[in-house]
Amino acid sequence: MMRWLFTSLFFLLVWLWASWWMGDVMRIAYERSFIAADATLMHWLWQKSFGWLWILGRALLTLYRWPIVGGLFVAVMLTAGSWLIGVCLRLPQRWRWVRYLPSVCWMLWTAKEGLNLFYMNEPGRVLGVPFLVLVVLAMLAGIVGRLYQGGSAHRSGIENKQCSTSKVFTPSMIGRVGGESLLIFLCFSIPAFYLNYRHPYLRPLTKMQVQLLNDDYEGMSRTAHEHASIGCRQMAGYYAVALSRTGHLADQLFDIKLEFDSLHTYGFQGEPNECLNYHVIDCNFFAGLIRAARHYVVEDLTMSGPSLYNLKYMVKISLIEGDWALARKYLHVVRQAPFEGDFIEKYEPMVGHFDRVQADPELAAVIKVLPSYHTLEQMHVKPGFLGYYVDLKEFKTREALEWSTVACLYAKRMPSFLQRCRGYVGSMPPSSIAEGLLIKAYAEPSILQAFPQLELGISRYELFMQDAKPYLDDRERGGEVLFEKYKGYYPYYYLFGNMRSTRKPNDGEQEHNKAGVN
Amino acid sequence: MKSYVYLILSVIALTGCSPSATIPTSFTETSDSLAIYPDYRDVTIPPNIAPLNFMVTDAAATEYVVTVGDLVCGAGKDGKIDMDSVAWREVLTEAKGKSLSVNVYAHRASGWVHYSPFTFNVAEEEIDPYLSYRLIEPGYEVYLQLGIYERNLTNFDVKTIYENDREVKSGEGHCINCHQFQNYDTKRMYFHVRENHGGTIVTQGKEAHKIIIKHDSIIASGAYGGWHPTLPLVAFSSNKTAQFFHYHFPEKIEVYDGVSDIILYDAEHNTVRNIFHTSDYFETFPTWSADGTRLFYCVARLPKFEYEQGNYNEYEAKLVMRYDSLLYDLYSLPFDTVTYTFGEPRLEVNASAENRSASVPRVSPDGRYLLYTLARCGQFHLYHKDADLWVKDLTKEYDSEEPSVNSYPLAATNSPDVDSYHAWSSNGRWMVISSRRDDGDFTRTYIAYFDKQGQGHRAFLLPQRDPEYNLLLLKSYNVPELTKNPVQISPEQFKHVISHTDPDLATYQP
Repeated sequence: MMRWLFTSLFFLLVWLWASWWMGDVMRIAYERSFIAADATLMHWLWQKSFGWLWILGRALLTLYRWPIVGGLFVAVMLTAGSWLIGVCLRLPQRWRWVRYLPSVCWMLWTAKEGLNLFYMNEPGRVLGVPFLVLVVLAMLAGIVGRLYQGGSAHRSGIENKQCSTSKVFTPSMIGRVGGESLLIFLCFSIPAFYLNYRHPYLRPLTKMQVQLLNDDYEGMSRTAHEHASIGCRQMAGYYAVALSRTGHLADQLFDIKLEFDSLHTYGFQGEPNECLNYHVIDCNFFAGLIRAARHYVVEDLTMSGPSLYNLKYMVKISLIEGDWALARKYLHVVRQAPFEGDFIEKYEPMVGHFDRVQADPELAAVIKVLPSYHTLEQMHVKPGFLGYYVDLKEFKTREALEWSTVACLYAKRMPSFLQRCRGYVGSMPPSSIAEGLLIKAYAEPSILQAFPQLELGISRYELFMQDAKPYLDDRERGGEVLFEKYKGYYPYYYLFGNMRSTRKPNDGEQEHNKAGVN
Repeated sequence: MKSYVYLILSVIALTGCSPSATIPTSFTETSDSLAIYPDYRDVTIPPNIAPLNFMVTDAAATEYVVTVGDLVCGAGKDGKIDMDSVAWREVLTEAKGKSLSVNVYAHRASGWVHYSPFTFNVAEEEIDPYLSYRLIEPGYEVYLQLGIYERNLTNFDVKTIYENDREVKSGEGHCINCHQFQNYDTKRMYFHVRENHGGTIVTQGKEAHKIIIKHDSIIASGAYGGWHPTLPLVAFSSNKTAQFFHYHFPEKIEVYDGVSDIILYDAEHNTVRNIFHTSDYFETFPTWSADGTRLFYCVARLPKFEYEQGNYNEYEAKLVMRYDSLLYDLYSLPFDTVTYTFGEPRLEVNASAENRSASVPRVSPDGRYLLYTLARCGQFHLYHKDADLWVKDLTKEYDSEEPSVNSYPLAATNSPDVDSYHAWSSNGRWMVISSRRDDGDFTRTYIAYFDKQGQGHRAFLLPQRDPEYNLLLLKSYNVPELTKNPVQISPEQFKHVISHTDPDLATYQP
């Protein structure tokens, strides 16, 4: 009975961990993966070392289309694995906790990997390897079972005795139950804490991505605000996407920390990599730069193979561009993957019907901000969604002007920012823009003449400068101390945010990887 | 183990064709338009080509029967027609120089329907049996898995000539490109290796070795080139190539040369020399006439703009903005096959006069036709949707006033999308073409008949056993080249030469 109690506890906690704690991470891993029954599509993976194992792992990962189902599978797999280890090792009572160790090691490994579970690495590893171990354990257990078949009668006699005595809860037994329960609990809390320590951004970042998949832009903003103090550049990118869709880009962008500390990730060859392109496809796409998005999608397709993520973007981009044949091709490829019927059902009717493309809220929003003049990607600073808007000089829509002005604020390019502010003369600019203007108003009084309403913010600005003064020589500390009080206030970002000098690098990171304010 | 899996998959695929298919005895004629992929309707095909399997799409149908002459084949709901190779061969042999009627019957709930038949026109002339090509994702700046392959056109066999590494390996990654053969024979071939283990792999029969072309007087190692038809000589272009991406333009990318010259490599003596070494002109895509007495090439004049001499970045930035004024004409140079000397250039196609740009000249084996692509600007027409195939009849009297007068487009062969890199068959009756007509992004190999009157016929997609193959393939076909025999060197030998031998530096001859 005790054994089943512990097993059930273990099972439930794994399920909780794999579906709730890691659910969004694994859901995004599923999106960055692809599996089909077609040999042509899987050839690139099949021919890699252990390709068959990665295909198997990807097949299992499809269960994470619904994290609760994927989590259930992981719980079954790890619980069965732990039980099989017990069978194989024939552990005595007091060493029974050992059987949980491999599962905990796997959980610790997933926590250590973070984004590398799927980004620039094979997503099939995460479930393929433990499943293979499970199969091997099952075979070993079968062998062990046969070897010890002779002694089974003797063993069952002992177990019966244990069962009969286990009905009596002695103090030592209660202590053992408590100890083992605590041990199992620790098995989950340690990987969970380790994940939050090593990759604090991981869960909010992937949660925002899942919310983006569900067109939940308000939810994305909420998630970013809830984790405002651990913002990273990738979170900032998705946050900007959400704000651009909810119309709050110019008054909420600086509400979260916009640092670019190391994410402790590595590239295709195991070299430190700062994931700078992780969010670029999404951000380029929603910024209307579908050509730049396509550029990175195709590079991703080349280096990481087809994934639902890159294939779906190719469908959307082709639809916006009116490349019907290409859209049809990518839809045909996506159709080969299981569980993607909703996507096909939504986008297939748009092929050949631009009116339907324009009627889709997501695609329509992108079409609205498509570039309006001929320019080349290479002429702008990377990433495109920032470089293009920093350089933009023709504003055919109010959004274009606002995005460009905010991009200049983010990049701290104040002369360019001031040029764009001419478009706001005679109106009340959004809060971040007004705050940016205040910084310059002291040196250029003509700004106050053009924007007399800025005077309302002078007292706060002076208060901020008083608070900031002690920290001007220690920006890192100033950033920490003043964040809660001044988050969302542009002068705070201007003086303390997104700075190379306060960036926390990765061990062994190359100097040339240290991107400055971009 | 993988071979066995493929074998099993192949067997499964083979069982797709229902051998027991019989022509329906009762059916109604339908005026519905027939939807098949690939669209093989009314194409001219070689008598030795592999079965032209195709897919029929009819939402209301549950099974199909197709007849090609006497050949009868069936398909299930997926509509995939997989013809029996032996029966196909017999039918084609019988039909040489004639037309074959193709009838498609679809079984709908209301009964069998019969579509309007179409034809396969079977030519008298065969196509060279081997097609080599490179498969690569249509990526722009990165690459991972790519390889050069050899397809037997008479069946569906594909052999690997060389594949690079299957996964990212530090210090190993290399790109391979621009494979070429001498006069349709695989005895002499070359291809380039870029980045790690860089060089040019040159073969002589069953021997391969790696060379490097590098000298202060040469811009860069060889790029696009062509073997002399008989001598151990290769004319290479030497280019500094770059690309940029449009944010808002009908075309997506432009590939251009910052500078380019033409060099001559002597494979026997491992020597190299400049043919053109100019700063105001961009020469590229050299190719020889069938008899080897003329060298054809493209040339564009550098647009006029001010820049600081020696400041390549400034030069390139300004050149990029003038990319659409890079218009290439086709020229030829007489070549003395004894002294290895060149004469004076002659303008062959004055494309720039019509504000157009010509590229990839290839002379037919009988020396009569010059096949090339024409587009709006530049020389890398793979990204130009208006790129079309043109020919010039070289037998007509040369008119220095109007050198392009005998040029005309191959209207029936061209498509609204990109029709670019091309090669002749050794009998001059077939052309293999790189085209993006399927979807605009993925280059596919098309084959077209070129008749004795100098007209190209409707092109057809390289047939595959599974007609759905090209719909699912996420790679492009590059540089299709025909040969009479298979490559004689194994991928392992190439791998050894590329990864484990030191290259020989070609000696520069001023």
